[in-house]
Amino acid sequence: MKGFNKVVLLALVILGLTIPSYADKIVVEGSTTVLPIAQKAAETFMDKNSGADISVRGGGSGVGIASLIDGNCDIADSSRPIKDTELDKAVTNGRSLKANVVAMDGIVVIVNPANKVNALTKKQIRDIFTGAISNWNQLDGPDDKIVVISRDSSSGTFEAWGTLVLEGSKVRADALLQASNQAVATTVASTPGAIGYVGLGYVTSSVKAVDVDGVKASKETVLTNKYPIGRPLFMYTNGTPQGLAKEFIDFILSPDGQKLVDEEGFVPLK
Amino acid sequence: MKKRFLTIIVAVLFLGLASLSAQAGEIDILLNKLVEKGILTAGEAQQIGTETKEQIKADIAKGTDSSLPSWVQTIKLKGDFRARYQLDHTAKSHADQNRGRVRLRLGMEAKANDKLNVGIGLATGKDDATAIDKDTARSTNQTLGNGFSKHPITLDYAYAQYTPLSWSTITVGKFKNVLWEPGDLIWDTDINPEGGALQLSGKFNSNLDWFINSGVLILDENSGDGDDPTMYVTQGGTNFKFNDKVSLKSAVSFYTTSGVKNRALDGTVGTNSKDSLGNLLNEYDTITPALELTIVDPFKALNVGFLDIPQISLFGEYVTNPRIKDGKNANGYMGGVKFGAAKIANKGDWQAQYNYGLLQKDAVLDILPDSDRMGGKTDMFAHEAIFQYGLGKNTYLALDYYQGRVLHGTQSARQIAHVVQVDWNVKF
Repeated sequence: MKGFNKVVLLALVILGLTIPSYADKIVVEGSTTVLPIAQKAAETFMDKNSGADISVRGGGSGVGIASLIDGNCDIADSSRPIKDTELDKAVTNGRSLKANVVAMDGIVVIVNPANKVNALTKKQIRDIFTGAISNWNQLDGPDDKIVVISRDSSSGTFEAWGTLVLEGSKVRADALLQASNQAVATTVASTPGAIGYVGLGYVTSSVKAVDVDGVKASKETVLTNKYPIGRPLFMYTNGTPQGLAKEFIDFILSPDGQKLVDEEGFVPLK
Repeated sequence: MKKRFLTIIVAVLFLGLASLSAQAGEIDILLNKLVEKGILTAGEAQQIGTETKEQIKADIAKGTDSSLPSWVQTIKLKGDFRARYQLDHTAKSHADQNRGRVRLRLGMEAKANDKLNVGIGLATGKDDATAIDKDTARSTNQTLGNGFSKHPITLDYAYAQYTPLSWSTITVGKFKNVLWEPGDLIWDTDINPEGGALQLSGKFNSNLDWFINSGVLILDENSGDGDDPTMYVTQGGTNFKFNDKVSLKSAVSFYTTSGVKNRALDGTVGTNSKDSLGNLLNEYDTITPALELTIVDPFKALNVGFLDIPQISLFGEYVTNPRIKDGKNANGYMGGVKFGAAKIANKGDWQAQYNYGLLQKDAVLDILPDSDRMGGKTDMFAHEAIFQYGLGKNTYLALDYYQGRVLHGTQSARQIAHVVQVDWNVKF
């Protein structure tokens, strides 16, 4: 009997050691678009909760969702809704993926302030970025060559632009590729014939935002889906989030977390 | 507190509405109304609307959505149509053959439960009524003509697939080939083998996946004979990602046959070694190493417009049949390159490919190779060039050109043969 008690005691000790260490560590993986939000939120959250250990990594939306389905991460960052094939695989693996919307991504088309063009259609923008339109006079503007400024192919914004505006077509070969939203804004501000795109948080008075399909980009028009170049950003969990994953997502949805979303150039939900 | 309560009520109402109608547009309209009335903020409406739609999708995938009949949620349909012009030309032959051909395939997959699926595929093509017909397994083409006659639809595949664990799948019936091959030197992609297969897959780490495919494939059935022609296959392979841009997939396959020697198989094109009665002289135990190296954005750093190619792949495979004791006429190989889009999904996507393949007489069973490459024969070599271009979503044009000849035979038989295929493909 004494032996049995020792075994029970040992089991309880092991359980006691295991539960906190499991509960206090989560892995967040996926979209490079959502990555800055997840990283900033994780840093802030861990500063406030010294026992929490949140590991954040990129890889892309598909990688994150596959990792969640395989049980290799706790939260999958995604800049797109889950695909049917991924849902089928999740069901086969006994997973029930739950979508948690944490922010919106609104991409604003900007031109040099001296440019007289104030509004474009999505098709015109696509034609500009693929090379079918190359001079502003084709759009009732001045006789100036259009200088296309794009994000480089490693950015999530570039990926979103390709999906939402270019619809799979390629950016014209002579586009100037920039590594950040800020670099795009700075280049457009200093180049008279330039056109580029940035996150909503990067629009300043040094550039002019262009209406798209007659809709002005704003937090409200992005949140209400009226602005055509916007999309929700997700953190998928296996079922309703629990434990540290729940606390982390709750933090991102809190006023402090949504402030971080705003600071990273995305559209907060609140 | 009041707002939070209202949010919960609205969410519940919408979930109920979604279950009844599954009309996402109606959800958006109602959410917008609630935003206008100040009951919800725009962000809350976005959150509820999007998460509700995602939940409906998840419920349908699980077959638990109450708004749709269960058969709708558990059955998926897919298919494709292809119209082809084909020219067959042989040097010195003045009888070019011009053909208009169509292919229609319709597939259905039904979910019996979370672990068990059933797949059924119908396609144009010939059935197996004729004992020896080289096209029955290797083609789903229907040649047009014959006085506007009706054409048959055949059973292309029918299988049950059991997934007891996330890393294992068991398939029984007539199913899509479970073996990975970078080209179609050994297996015509139209062949759907029959028998049973076991597939295992997993990860060594985040950069290295592994897979094992094996199967018992029934080649022929002879009444009153316990030693029916059968093929046993095992393939082991890995997919290694060096980084986000470069990956290498490789595999080694082992095949062994039983009951093939001293028989003539259905579907043979008669190029394997055979006796005077037309029966095969050998069993076929083949070893096949294969690999494919893929590089994404290979010339991006050069920043030259016309070199902005999304992806380039180099591939190759080798086959040898150690059952042939003198080692003569027992080998084959293929090497090639393809570049462009990984797949043709949208307008403007393109992909070009070139490959060269050679199969000696007894490298593989002659019921298996691609029927477009020298009629599916062994004892031949051929060059192939393919160009595909996306016309729009789910539709593309393809131009396929083969040039080759047999390795042995009379001078007349060894004339260069040309095949040109122009295809219009539509997927649905």
